[in-house]
Amino acid sequence: MAVISALPPLALQAGANRVVQGVKIEHVCGDPSLPPDADRALRRSIVEQGLRALTTDVQSPTVFGGAG
Amino acid sequence: MLRIGHYLNQFFAGIGGEEQASTPPSVRAGAIGPGRLLNTLLGPEGGVASTLVCGDNFFNEQVEAAAEAVRGWLRDVRPDLVVAGPAFAAGRYGRACAEVCRLAAEEGIPAVTGMHPENPGLLIYRQAYAVPTGNSAAEMAPALAAIAALARRLTGTAPLGPAEEDGYLPRGVRRPGMRPRPGAERAVAMLVTRMRGEPFRTELPVEPYEAVSPAPALPDLTRATIAVVTTGAIVPKGNPDHLKRCSETRWVRYGLGNRSTLSAAEFECVHGGFFNVPASENPNVVLPLDVLRDLAREGRIGRLVDFYCTTTGNDQRLVDCRRNGEEIAETLSRERVDGVLLVAT
Repeated sequence: MAVISALPPLALQAGANRVVQGVKIEHVCGDPSLPPDADRALRRSIVEQGLRALTTDVQSPTVFGGAG
Repeated sequence: MLRIGHYLNQFFAGIGGEEQASTPPSVRAGAIGPGRLLNTLLGPEGGVASTLVCGDNFFNEQVEAAAEAVRGWLRDVRPDLVVAGPAFAAGRYGRACAEVCRLAAEEGIPAVTGMHPENPGLLIYRQAYAVPTGNSAAEMAPALAAIAALARRLTGTAPLGPAEEDGYLPRGVRRPGMRPRPGAERAVAMLVTRMRGEPFRTELPVEPYEAVSPAPALPDLTRATIAVVTTGAIVPKGNPDHLKRCSETRWVRYGLGNRSTLSAAEFECVHGGFFNVPASENPNVVLPLDVLRDLAREGRIGRLVDFYCTTTGNDQRLVDCRRNGEEIAETLSRERVDGVLLVAT
């Protein structure tokens, strides 16, 4: 499992092992202030980070990438 | 002399084991089973005037009927104190004992129980006065001795002290009071003690999170079944299951059908812990269905499972989080899901 969170320190504190940096609490996977295409591209990059996290071996809690 | 009303399940009342667990409530005069030892411990100070017996299944399945029986019994007997159990690690018995304590408190009668600190019974009424016990009835004598001691404190004239001093499980109650030194000084002193490597005691215990070992990496994403879960309370429009805005105890699952995106016409966000308008206007910003469909179509992932799970991650008790997590994991594992994306809001 990979946790996508706007607040990785909280996810790490709760013991999540694969954490992906999201955008903001209100819109973790995207940014409604962007044009729709850019929002969708940003969302895709975050989900791709999540998938990369799932295919990466980790020994301890690890944060994957920044948004976008 | 203290007149005690004692609550027992079918097992400790000597009626029988599981096969008798549906026994309806009944009242006996005086003490039976562990109540006799309680009488011995209290000596001339008091004793069990009446015992209410009820099967564990009856109490947990017919909650209202059981509660009515407890109320009737309390009003008839008017005990000075109620003792429930002890229940040790028995979950259904623990719930019954905690509920008896709650009902006694409603009638203004002090009540004491005893159970293992991890007995789920305390979750239904954390304010019960409960002494910590061992796992099983082998610990009956020390458990009853602790109950008798707490009973004396509860019915005595001196005010009851903090949990750790008077031997009961923390009830989550903070009592305002004056301390000789202000909080800032105590905090710095605690920090200094800690930095010296000396033992210190926190004034605000935090429930520890569990360390989970990392799952192995997925070998091949293109053959993997992926699921998406969120604590962001994304629900079908109209919130058919009445998912709560905060303090939710449950989780729900909804079918995705063949949707290629989550539209604002069909879904909304009911999370009460953040400004949820953006997520209601475009639920994909919390539950990224649109791009997951793209990735599945492009063959980047094997497939996306055809439902999602959600709860409201807002002021949810750790015990509910843990149970919800276990249940969701079990559901996903039954569906042979290989990898999960959890969007935490």
